[in-house]
Amino acid sequence: MDFAAQIAMARYERIGEILGRCMERVEKPESFSDMIDKVVLDRYLGIPVFLTLMWAVFQFAFSVSAPFSDAVDVFFSACSDWAKNTITDPQLASLIGDGIFGGLGFVLVFLPPIAFVFMALAVLEDTGYLSRAAFVMDRAMTKVGLQGKSFIPMLLGFGCNVPAIMATRTIENEIDRKITIMVNPLMSCSARLPVYILFAGVFFEKYAGAVITSMYLLGILLAALMATLFRKLVFGGKPSPLLLEMPPYTVPTLRGVFTSAWVRTRVFLKKAATVLFIGAIAIWFLSTHPWQATEGGSVVENSYAAVIGHAVEPLIRPLGLDWTAGIALFAGFMAKEIVVGTLGIVYGVGEENVASAIVSHFTPASALAMMVITLIYLPCLATIGILRQELGGWKWTGFVVAYELVLAYMVAGIVFLGCKLVGVA
Amino acid sequence: MIRTALAGNPNVGKSVIFNALTGAKQKIGNWPGVTVEKKEGICNYKGTEIQVTDLPGIYSLTASSIDEKIARDYILDEKPDVVVDIVDASNIERNLYLTMQLMEMEANLVIALNKMDLAESKGYRIDVRKLSNEIGLPVVPMVAIRNEGVEELKQTVVHAANSPKKPAIRYSDEVEEAIGEMEKKVTKERILPEYPSRFVAIKLLEGDKTILEKAGKRTEV
Repeated sequence: MDFAAQIAMARYERIGEILGRCMERVEKPESFSDMIDKVVLDRYLGIPVFLTLMWAVFQFAFSVSAPFSDAVDVFFSACSDWAKNTITDPQLASLIGDGIFGGLGFVLVFLPPIAFVFMALAVLEDTGYLSRAAFVMDRAMTKVGLQGKSFIPMLLGFGCNVPAIMATRTIENEIDRKITIMVNPLMSCSARLPVYILFAGVFFEKYAGAVITSMYLLGILLAALMATLFRKLVFGGKPSPLLLEMPPYTVPTLRGVFTSAWVRTRVFLKKAATVLFIGAIAIWFLSTHPWQATEGGSVVENSYAAVIGHAVEPLIRPLGLDWTAGIALFAGFMAKEIVVGTLGIVYGVGEENVASAIVSHFTPASALAMMVITLIYLPCLATIGILRQELGGWKWTGFVVAYELVLAYMVAGIVFLGCKLVGVA
Repeated sequence: MIRTALAGNPNVGKSVIFNALTGAKQKIGNWPGVTVEKKEGICNYKGTEIQVTDLPGIYSLTASSIDEKIARDYILDEKPDVVVDIVDASNIERNLYLTMQLMEMEANLVIALNKMDLAESKGYRIDVRKLSNEIGLPVVPMVAIRNEGVEELKQTVVHAANSPKKPAIRYSDEVEEAIGEMEKKVTKERILPEYPSRFVAIKLLEGDKTILEKAGKRTEV
């Protein structure tokens, strides 16, 4: 033992002697927090309690938000119809009706579920439960080369990877933090959900819920796998031990919950107002021009979008995907919310008819492949931006983009071929 | 005028005590050469002016971070009349680690034992007088957020400035033997004579980079 360690020990020894003579143990009053912790931090009950709470969060968010989403949908459909009926110039009517109102409607129907997920998470956070969750999950996280503190960023990843990656700043150890950031995009953010809902709903009807859940699980599994690989092959070492202070439980304030939910939802709204808005217009333009050749946007086959889609097609043909999927995935690079909207614009139908259009372009197997690719491939533009900022440069960011592309292609291939093998078309 | 510095771990209520002592009479600037905030203020106790400098919150004095280096250099080079070591009573064991190191530096210490109300919720009671006897330093119990103990702290600081105490802290025999030998060498070769010889000896033994460099030695002693 070197002297530095020896004297550190000697100091603590001396402190122990001093305290032994002037400190007296008293019966520690068992607080309300201690009683709750006995249950939620229990060796065996901890994880079931945690999973139940998480399930409740999503359940709450999606059931409560459904009527709001319907209202948003009805509103934008009405706007779209109004624009198409009142504007006489067909090109302008198409731009405003399909491009702007249609595109915004596709994106903003996801505003209510996102806002409610953030509200429910804010409640858990403000009560003090989330730091317990980190503790409960530490053992599982350590097994895959992460640590308990990686857990909250991973959880936030289900909402949006951008704030999730920013939340890794609480992880002190540089390598733990890097690995957490690099696997975070695999956590299925809310922008990917519409794609699952659409395809699972059309092709798997009764089992839609199970299919969607399995996408989330696949994301978690891949994140665990990649984290293990990165730890073993790239970085080495062990996750640093977790030291957490458990704040006493408190009753969250309405103000606090709304503030924190609003701050996070605002990120989505900002994106909707900028990237997604511009994206929708760009996709509209690409899929309806050249205006003459597409006969005013009705023959998408002749559009610029088709050119891009056909360029991507050879690559995704083996996965059962055609050029329409190609253009949707191309657009999805901007923001994954756009994937569904793009399909709608490309097929030239509103949200209510997109289902029937999809059946003619996808099979159950290729629909699964499409979902898997959407889950894994390229992080969206905003995420790439934050990756670069937090990983400190293009080197590791490029690495993340590359491994995700390869992984997406491989896993989608396995899923597609697997489906063929078991006889799913 | 008495010059004092406030030292302590992060989150011990240091800013609360600083504000309680100095009120609105504060001057905020930066430590020379770095962008770490430096706060200074003045307070008064029965006609004696006390200048208070707030040191960065730190866990130890190894000079491994900028904050630790600032705190250490200030105490060693500026030699304040009194160093108030703020100790969180509800985390006393970890906090006393810094106290040990401040004692090694032979600073004229006053212990402000803050958050006394929280110690019992952690399951222990601290006998302040016994603690004071054990370490040979004045100890002021405080609950700074309720303004309890602030006047007593001022009084103790003034008293400590007039009759400085620098009790030695003794460790296990094995460690003391090593320190003793090194200290002889430090004294004989007049290594860093401006600092306490025992402190220099401990730092050299620990392999402290800054002190090794200052002592002009490249290799392990």
